[in-house]
Amino acid sequence: MTETVATTDEQPASPSATEETYDVPADAETYDCSYCGRPFAREDWLALHRGLAHPNDLDDAEVEAFRAAHEDEEESLATFRLQALGALVLIYFGLLMIYALV
Amino acid sequence: MTFGRRHRAALAVCGLGLLAATGTASAHGGSLAGGGRESLTIPTWLFLSTGGAAVGASFLLASFVTDRAFIERIHGWGRPLSGEFERVLGLVGQLIGVVGLAAVLVIGFVGPTTARTNLAILLVWVGWWAGLAMTTYLLGNAWATLNPLKTLADLLPTLDRSYPDRVGSWPAVAGLLVLVWLEVVSPLADQPRLLASAVAGYSVVTLAGALVFGPDDWFTQADPVERVFRYYGRFAPIGRGEDGLRLRLPGMDLSTPRLVDGPDEVAFVVALLWVTTYDGLVTTPAWRDLTTPLVEPGVPPHLLYPVALAIGFGFFLGVYRLAVRLSSDISDTYLTPAVLAQRFAPPLIAIAVGYHFAHYLGYFLVLAPSLAVALASPFADPATVPTLELPEWFGAIALTSVIVGHLVAIWVAHAAAYDLFPARLQAIRSQYPFIAVMVFYTMTSLWVVSQPEVALPHL
Repeated sequence: MTETVATTDEQPASPSATEETYDVPADAETYDCSYCGRPFAREDWLALHRGLAHPNDLDDAEVEAFRAAHEDEEESLATFRLQALGALVLIYFGLLMIYALV
Repeated sequence: MTFGRRHRAALAVCGLGLLAATGTASAHGGSLAGGGRESLTIPTWLFLSTGGAAVGASFLLASFVTDRAFIERIHGWGRPLSGEFERVLGLVGQLIGVVGLAAVLVIGFVGPTTARTNLAILLVWVGWWAGLAMTTYLLGNAWATLNPLKTLADLLPTLDRSYPDRVGSWPAVAGLLVLVWLEVVSPLADQPRLLASAVAGYSVVTLAGALVFGPDDWFTQADPVERVFRYYGRFAPIGRGEDGLRLRLPGMDLSTPRLVDGPDEVAFVVALLWVTTYDGLVTTPAWRDLTTPLVEPGVPPHLLYPVALAIGFGFFLGVYRLAVRLSSDISDTYLTPAVLAQRFAPPLIAIAVGYHFAHYLGYFLVLAPSLAVALASPFADPATVPTLELPEWFGAIALTSVIVGHLVAIWVAHAAAYDLFPARLQAIRSQYPFIAVMVFYTMTSLWVVSQPEVALPHL
């Protein structure tokens, strides 16, 4: 994660800064990060989070979990890219046709 | 016609290229707006859909960039600017600011009464609200130093009451809405005496606030003008870091966590966007037709404008909050909606910047020679003042700036989502509601500027 250092032209923290950051429904199943306590809805999100936010603290099992989650993520991203490309093509040719007709 | 407002209304008009506004460079320098908005050569629905599609397509393109390290490198890029001369520069800046305020008050009250030759009018609208604001997001926030009221407040004693945290920046939100309302309904850009009175009134309120709560709290929390410039300044390539000035890529600092902190500051960013729309909306025929049935049976028009301003603001804020809630549902996160709202508000500043540049670049260039003449001889009242004729292709620049504003906003929100969520698809999905809102906002703005401009109805 980028922890961009807070710059001085940022205003001082307002009271809301201390308010709750997480909002977990009472009956929800959570996977909590053992390093920072942040809850996640899915196990692989937790695995990804550990690798991204606490890369130097992980044990071997956690590193392995991160690798696996990362690979799964790559696959689903590839599918998403194809869908997005399809949508772009639709938008482009759709508008092209409409401009030709109007 | 008020040239500050008219100009803003004609906004991206000149901007949108397709609609380059005509008009003679004559009275009021409101020249660009003077000719009204031109009609389109393509059907309005197609014009609107194209604009909406451009925004949607940019989101899809941004979603192809899934390399976290690359995104972080872009947003983290920066280098310090050494500045030993900073203190001297600061003193000079404060001096210029105070002299400027004095000039606005003196020339406003005793100078020529024609708007186009009066230095107060030109300095406030052309020099400050157009010119200085543009340098704020193109270079860096000089107003933080120039602000004459801050300089004066620092010299005055203070009661140093503690500023109520609960109130936060809501006074700034209300202040921004009030200032825009005044600007829309009163001839502030036409009557130097009125403008000088308004500036004097604002100065008294601000100094009183600083006197009671201390300048630091007042200017960081409650003062709307200081806040507008501070937010615009966050877009700029030069910012203030921990060890002095720092160079960064334009707009990329908007993804920084905690830039917008709390619901009050989210509301301010939304207000900044809404007033841009409001300004143009009230001069459309649709607004006239919509309000005529209200005014004829006796609704006082002076009530109509502030009420519409408040309702519209509520609507914009409601839509933004709805988008945040949807985003929270779609991304299946346990982060509170408040956290998401704060993180995804700063990208909207980039959109506001794009629209401001589209409105005011032409306005500034056309009237800059008049400002120079008035600066050289503030008490003269020449019959004609020089203005600059803009070439035909100029509208394309404004069109581009509106689009670039949206692109930067989409990119920054993309980066913020990557920072917030561990899974990249989750980050992309979290943006769907915001993109839908952005498409809707673009289409509304384009619709406003494609409408013929009518005089402010009922006033």
